[in-house]
Amino acid sequence: MFKLPNIFAVTLLGAALVAGSAQAEGSKYNFGAPASAEEIAGWDIDIRPDGMGLPVGSGNAMDGEAEYEVQCAACHGVFGEGEGRWPVLVGGEGTLADERPVKTVGSYWPYASTLFDYIRRAMPFTAPMSLSDQQVYDITAYVLYMNEIIEEDFELSNENLAGVKMPNEANFFVDDRPDVKNPRCMADCADPSTMMLASSLAGVTPIGHFVEGADAPAASHEGQHDLEAQKEAERKADITGEEVAASHGAEPAALSAQAQAGEAVYKGACFVCHDSGLAGAPKTGDAAAWADRVGQGMDLLVSHALEGYSGSTGVMPPKGGRMDLSDKAVTDAVHFMVESSH
Amino acid sequence: MTTPSTKELLQTMQDAAENLSQNDRREFLRKGVSYVAGAAAVGTAGTAAAASFSTNLPPNEPQWGKQLGRGVVANPYGVPSRFEEHVVRRTVPWLTAESISSISMSPIHDLKGIITPNGLVFERYHAGVPDVNPDEHRLMIHGLVDNPLIFTMEDLMRFPSVSEIKFIECPANGGMEWRGPQMEALQFTHGMLSCCEWTGVPLKVLLEEAGIRPEGKWILAEGADGAHMSRSIPIEKILDDTLVVYAQNGEMLRPEQGYPLRLLNPGWEGNTSIKWLRRIEVGDKPWHHREETSKYTDLLADGTARRFTFVQECNSVITNPCPENPIKKPGFIEIEGLAWTGRGKIKGVDVSFDGGVSWQPAQLKGLVLDKALTRFSFQTKWSGEPWLLQSRAYDETGYVQPTLAQLREQRGVNSIYHKNSIHTWQVQPTGEVKNVQIT
Repeated sequence: MFKLPNIFAVTLLGAALVAGSAQAEGSKYNFGAPASAEEIAGWDIDIRPDGMGLPVGSGNAMDGEAEYEVQCAACHGVFGEGEGRWPVLVGGEGTLADERPVKTVGSYWPYASTLFDYIRRAMPFTAPMSLSDQQVYDITAYVLYMNEIIEEDFELSNENLAGVKMPNEANFFVDDRPDVKNPRCMADCADPSTMMLASSLAGVTPIGHFVEGADAPAASHEGQHDLEAQKEAERKADITGEEVAASHGAEPAALSAQAQAGEAVYKGACFVCHDSGLAGAPKTGDAAAWADRVGQGMDLLVSHALEGYSGSTGVMPPKGGRMDLSDKAVTDAVHFMVESSH
Repeated sequence: MTTPSTKELLQTMQDAAENLSQNDRREFLRKGVSYVAGAAAVGTAGTAAAASFSTNLPPNEPQWGKQLGRGVVANPYGVPSRFEEHVVRRTVPWLTAESISSISMSPIHDLKGIITPNGLVFERYHAGVPDVNPDEHRLMIHGLVDNPLIFTMEDLMRFPSVSEIKFIECPANGGMEWRGPQMEALQFTHGMLSCCEWTGVPLKVLLEEAGIRPEGKWILAEGADGAHMSRSIPIEKILDDTLVVYAQNGEMLRPEQGYPLRLLNPGWEGNTSIKWLRRIEVGDKPWHHREETSKYTDLLADGTARRFTFVQECNSVITNPCPENPIKKPGFIEIEGLAWTGRGKIKGVDVSFDGGVSWQPAQLKGLVLDKALTRFSFQTKWSGEPWLLQSRAYDETGYVQPTLAQLREQRGVNSIYHKNSIHTWQVQPTGEVKNVQIT
């Protein structure tokens, strides 16, 4: 047992049963029900640097490599280098005082326990709480190994994880603000002759809502997606001389019943990669990217979606990492993407 | 086309504006501003718009006075006028990889008073908005307590309730501008900020029910969303003013704000106010989870980092004028803005027109509440002269909002979080307002 509170819970529950429903001492309202040891165990997922909360078990980087490639690499990169704007996991040692610091597990995180805790509670992004303790140990070990914090054959376990020291631990200190004292000066507070004025960058702020005709990003991810698709279509039209097709907004009416059924699945899972083209995923709406894949036959495409596929352009984990989805749900979503990408 | 002189432009705008209905004024001004930027012809746009609306102006009876309107319950849950559809949350899409783990900003340039309407409160999710059924939502309290408890929403709403007006601010508010000015609009420089009346139960009441043990010094608060967002909070804060809230501005929490239950740590960085709150564990030490180590720690120039930087220090910004609210005409102007501090009440705000060389006291107006947005006002005249407009708030602890130079000197520019420096708007002779920094 690593969590003393659980022992207390069991003891107290026993005491409560003996005492019947008598109001607990110190309780003023007696609202709520006693939390049983079993209920607590189901939700008590947190890990502390001293190892409190770690489940009994172990794992290593050799087993973690394959797990990582299926569960993590699509966003974090095969080497932990990060795809697009997704977090970089590896490298950056010695850069924290640089002009552009690279904050990674190895260069910045103070405790190894945080890695186990975070993977267990929140990863993989599209399917949190789907990994077994064994998978979490293996992947944690692999990420630590990639950061050269443990050896490849080190068996990381509940017994030794708290003993894994992170290189940057000593560089954190507790908030000591206020660190700046500005006097409330009212006159002659600065020398105008030394004041320099810096202006904002142009073209990076969504300002279309108050500056008409501005060459600016959209004010939502969806709007930006449409804006970029439109610009791309115009760019191609410039080259081919063809007219720009109307935006794909009219398509839903043409979707088959199966594709319509897949739309909700898509918006709840697949879009994370297939909207952005993350990890080489064919973008929904990109006819060229889908044509070759559809050309191989829908059966093969669906089987790649269900069982996973590793090709020259990217990695498709089995069911995109969402093993909770039924085969039918994934198949419907594939039909939605294909039909939305003519 | 040549750009008219400021005087001509202002005269054109003024003439056209007089022919416009109030509802069309905003659209006209937008076109006016873009004209200044050299994009559209204001005279044409103004005249065309004025013509289409002129039958609604005196001496004519407007269209809406000659017919009936909607009846009761046509909108069982009311929505703003269709003429206000531009008052919305917005984001900067390139900030994050997608919209699920992302942030949006409140349109504070369009808001009045100190309360943020529920549909406009800024959003921050780490795994999107969960669709929580309140009948199946539970709050578990366990750890170093005598009686581990599980509460239903019904249980929680039986406790005596409190209602308090408090701001919530993301510690990354303004964080895009440590290195230099970057955002050309107030919504993006300061919009990770909202203020509501929150209703719920003090967390200490719930912990007393569970019987906190003497060795309990910290709690871990955890959400029910896919991120299972978690933060460690010292017990002193809980005993002071932490609330467990289920309502905002008179109605149940919006899903975006943690429906049906969230933590509220007044004056502290927003992400400590865990949404979709499902679990409180009492412990003797902090947990050092991802959102208090990898993120939400303040990296300094020497490579060391502050952690548990909970308090949102005293801050302020001018909301009129601002890039979205240019000065429309010479003459009287009420310079208005918002001030706030995580350390208590705002004591006062000063305004500078010359980039911080000299300062004059502004007036606080309306409610001045603990850890709430506080509105300030400075009435003056503008006659087309350029301003370097700033506000500087100070709070009841004596802390005075710092300059950017002072913050950079102490912290460098890699901190991301907690940039509460004095903000500068450059008011141009055209009345346009630009985001600038003085160094």
